[in-house]
Amino acid sequence: MEINFEHRHAAHCENGVVRNLLNFYGIKLSEPMILGLGSGIFFSHMPFYRLHGMAMTSFRYFPGSIFTRVTRALGIEVQWHKFKDPDKAMAKLDEVLAQGIPAGLRVGVYHLAYFPKEYRMHFNGHNLCVIGKEGDEYIISDPIGMNKNRLSAENLKKVRFAKGTTPPEGRMYYIKSTEHYKPLTADMLYKATRKTCSGMLGIPFPMFGAKGIAYLAKRMRKWVRLYGERGAAMNLAQIIRMLEEIGTGGAGFRFMYAAYLQEASQFLNKPEWNQLSMELTEVGDLWRDFSYHAARFFKKREGIILSYDDLADKLDVISARETEVFRKLENSIKRG
Amino acid sequence: MKVKDVPQDDEFVQPDSNMLLRDLAYAVDEDGKYRDVVSAGWATKNEAIRFSHNNHGEEAQKVRKEVTDGKYSPLMYHIILSAMTTRMLADYTGLSKRKIHKLCKPKHFASIKADELSRIAEAMNISVEELTSID
Repeated sequence: MEINFEHRHAAHCENGVVRNLLNFYGIKLSEPMILGLGSGIFFSHMPFYRLHGMAMTSFRYFPGSIFTRVTRALGIEVQWHKFKDPDKAMAKLDEVLAQGIPAGLRVGVYHLAYFPKEYRMHFNGHNLCVIGKEGDEYIISDPIGMNKNRLSAENLKKVRFAKGTTPPEGRMYYIKSTEHYKPLTADMLYKATRKTCSGMLGIPFPMFGAKGIAYLAKRMRKWVRLYGERGAAMNLAQIIRMLEEIGTGGAGFRFMYAAYLQEASQFLNKPEWNQLSMELTEVGDLWRDFSYHAARFFKKREGIILSYDDLADKLDVISARETEVFRKLENSIKRG
Repeated sequence: MKVKDVPQDDEFVQPDSNMLLRDLAYAVDEDGKYRDVVSAGWATKNEAIRFSHNNHGEEAQKVRKEVTDGKYSPLMYHIILSAMTTRMLADYTGLSKRKIHKLCKPKHFASIKADELSRIAEAMNISVEELTSID
C-alpha cells in the first residue's frame, strides 16, 4: 500500500517534510517560504548542552518548531504522538497509514541504513515522512534524498527510538484537517519575521541570537587551553558539520533565509527586503569563507593556516553584520 | 553564493544509490534571483566529516592497545568505535550506567550474562561475536 504522495527533494529535512505534507493537501509553498514562515533561522552555542561530548551549536530552532509554527500560522490542525513502547509506536503508525494519511517521524541518524557511514553521528533531530507499507518494508520519503526509498520495519523501529541527546521517543506528527486553512497573507509574513528578529536580537543571554556568534568567538579563543590541540580541532569540525552538513542549504540556513526575504519582498512589494536579502547573502559568503579557512586545520594544506584567534575575529565580523541585517529588518517592519 | 560557485565534490559512498542523498544549495543566478541547485558536496565539509570520523577510529585504536594489555574489556573498544557514551548505551540496553562501567573491565566482562551481551550487541548493531573480539 502506497499513498499517492509527491516526493520532492529539499535542502533541509524538516522544511522538506512540512512542504511535502502541505503539498499533499494541496497547499503549495516553497521551501524558503516554509523556513521564513516557521521562523526557522537562529543561532545558539550552548556549552552546557552536549552533543558527542562537545558544545551544541545550532543554526536553527529546536526540531519540530517549524512544523508547529507554519501549521499554526496557516490554521491547520495537526496531531502529535509520543510513545514509550516501540511496538505501540509502530502499531499507531500502521493505523495512520491505513487511513491514507502520510506521517512525519522524528528519527536519529546513527542507525539509519541509507546514510553513508561517515555521516553517522548520534544526532536525533532528523525528520522523514512515511508514505506506505509493503510487507515488512516501509516506503519513506526523506526530503534530503533525490528519490523515495524503503526501510525495514526493524530499522525504522530502531531509529525512532534512538537514544542520546534529545531522544526522539518515537515522535510522530500528521495533518488532521485543513478545514480552517487560511491562505498566506502579508500579516503572517510580518508576524513570522518579527518573531525571527526577536529571536536573533532580543534574547537576554549571550549564547543566543546574532550575539551568540560573538560568544562562540570568545569561547573559540579559549579552546586550545581548555581542550588541547586535538580537542579544539574536534570542536571546530563539529561546528563546520552543523553549518554545512546536508540540510542547511549552505552556510547554516543564511542563503535559504535570504531566498525567503527575496520571495517575501515580491509578495509584499517591499524592494528594501530584496536589498536585505543581498546583504544576508554576503553574510552567508562570510560564513563560507570561515568554513573554508577552518577546514585547513583538518588537512595540512600549503599556504597560510589561520590560528583560532584569526577565525574568532572572522566570527566577530559575522556577528556584527548579522546583527545589522536583522536590526534593519526589524526596523523596516516597525516603519510599516 | 553564485550558482556557478555551488561546489560539486562528491566523495562518500552511499549505501542506497537509488535514493541518492544530496545537498540542495540556494544560490543567486546572474539576474540576482535565488534558485535551488543540487550540490554533490563540498570538499571543505567533507574534510571536517572525515576528520571527526577518523578521529573516532584513532581513539578506538588507542583503546584497542589497552584492551590487548588487559586494562579494558572489548566492550570499551566498541563503545569508543561507535561514538557512544556509557549513558547512551545504558539508555539503549536498560542496564545501569554503573553496570556498563563495570563491564568495561576485563574481570567483569568475563562473567557477563548471555542476555546482557545480546542486548548490548543489538544496541550497537553488531553480532555477539564481533562484540567479544577486537578485530
